[in-house]
Amino acid sequence: MLNMLLWIAGFIILLVKLMIILGVLLFFAGYLVWVERKFLARLQIRYGPNRAGPYGLLQPLADIVKMLVKEDTVPDGADRAFFLIAPAVVAATAILMFSVVPFGKDLTLWGQKVPLVVTDLNIGLLFVFAMSSLGVYGVALGGWASNSKYGLLGGIRGAAQMISYELPLGLSLVPIVMMAHSFSMVKIVAAQQKYPFILFQPLAFMIFAISSMAESKRIPFDLPEAENELVAGYHTEYSGMRFGLFFLGEYVHIMVFGAIMSVLFLGGWRGPFLPPVVWLLIKILAVALFMIWVRGTLPRLRYDQLMALGWKVLIPLALINILATGAVGLMIN
Amino acid sequence: MIPQKPMGDFLAVALFLVAGLAFAVVPMIISRLIVKRGQGAQREATYESGMETIGSAWIQFTVAYYIYALIFLAFDVDVLYLFPVGTVYGEYAVRDLVEVIVFVGILSLAIVYAWRKGVFEWKRR
Repeated sequence: MLNMLLWIAGFIILLVKLMIILGVLLFFAGYLVWVERKFLARLQIRYGPNRAGPYGLLQPLADIVKMLVKEDTVPDGADRAFFLIAPAVVAATAILMFSVVPFGKDLTLWGQKVPLVVTDLNIGLLFVFAMSSLGVYGVALGGWASNSKYGLLGGIRGAAQMISYELPLGLSLVPIVMMAHSFSMVKIVAAQQKYPFILFQPLAFMIFAISSMAESKRIPFDLPEAENELVAGYHTEYSGMRFGLFFLGEYVHIMVFGAIMSVLFLGGWRGPFLPPVVWLLIKILAVALFMIWVRGTLPRLRYDQLMALGWKVLIPLALINILATGAVGLMIN
Repeated sequence: MIPQKPMGDFLAVALFLVAGLAFAVVPMIISRLIVKRGQGAQREATYESGMETIGSAWIQFTVAYYIYALIFLAFDVDVLYLFPVGTVYGEYAVRDLVEVIVFVGILSLAIVYAWRKGVFEWKRR
């Protein structure tokens, strides 16, 4: 009986954590849209959204209402089932990645230990990879199922790009695992107690940053969308809330990659003075601002340049980095 | 002591998945309930820059980068073997390093081979 009650208590704590994280994640993803539009506008010497509320702060709300009341059409000749599933795959996999991100030290509530992470999977890092690879299906299926030429080309580009950049993404993290001796995100943060890994692994950090930008299909890697050649690429045929899911999925993706980058390279929630959660948010925001800045600065790569960068530069560099880490690690020990 | 992981790790993941799917599906349902549906002959035609749609998109054409998919398949599976090695790296000192060098060396032959074969070149057809 007592065990049963305790189990229910644990379950409720889990639910509460889940609700808070989802709420915070979606809120910040929504406002990241505003941050991006504002910051990008400033980079291009214009104002950005400034009509809805002070400084355009209500813009995300207006966007959501607009997407909700727009009609959501399925084009003629589309594969209905896959067309309907694809955006949900993109959004759900992006959200799922956040379940392994730790955002603080273990909390003690009424003498009970509550770890501040939804679940500390012992294979956390591999879980993130799995989810990030599953996200490809949303893009490829969405592009294919629309039965539109633009959509199909976008989907194929998305698939080619994401499989190419997944390799450097994975290889750049092998040195992290070598240093932390664990896949668990909590243990990886614990291993950075003294110094964040970016100090030891600047090359891995650069490779990871470039490939994660490619995985989230941001400029300069936005070939699957490429507005001026493919209309909107894989989501050309999407409208209304389904388009909204692709759109929000992209921003959740930025949040998630920001969080994972902070956990793996920037010391996670560690930082002086401020509470851990705030530090994590600051780091996520810094990564997001960096990505927006890159978007405002660089032109889009050509398709063959993109593939060449992945296979001829990033993968060899990542392999060399693994060997170098191995050699240096042995010398220190 | 309240169990920190009721029913193991993956219950939390499953719950998160349910919540994520709910986040995806609920707005669609709301939107379906409040949206006014339009009428018109060409409403659901596939978009082709305002022209009438010509044929289906599901035709055969050359996917220039399909060979990459094959290399990826071979490569990615092997990369996965590097991860467990990472967790125990350093226990046997020099032997570890030699083994990793041999493994990565053989692995990079895949890239070298594809490079030499010209897979990474974009050929005009």
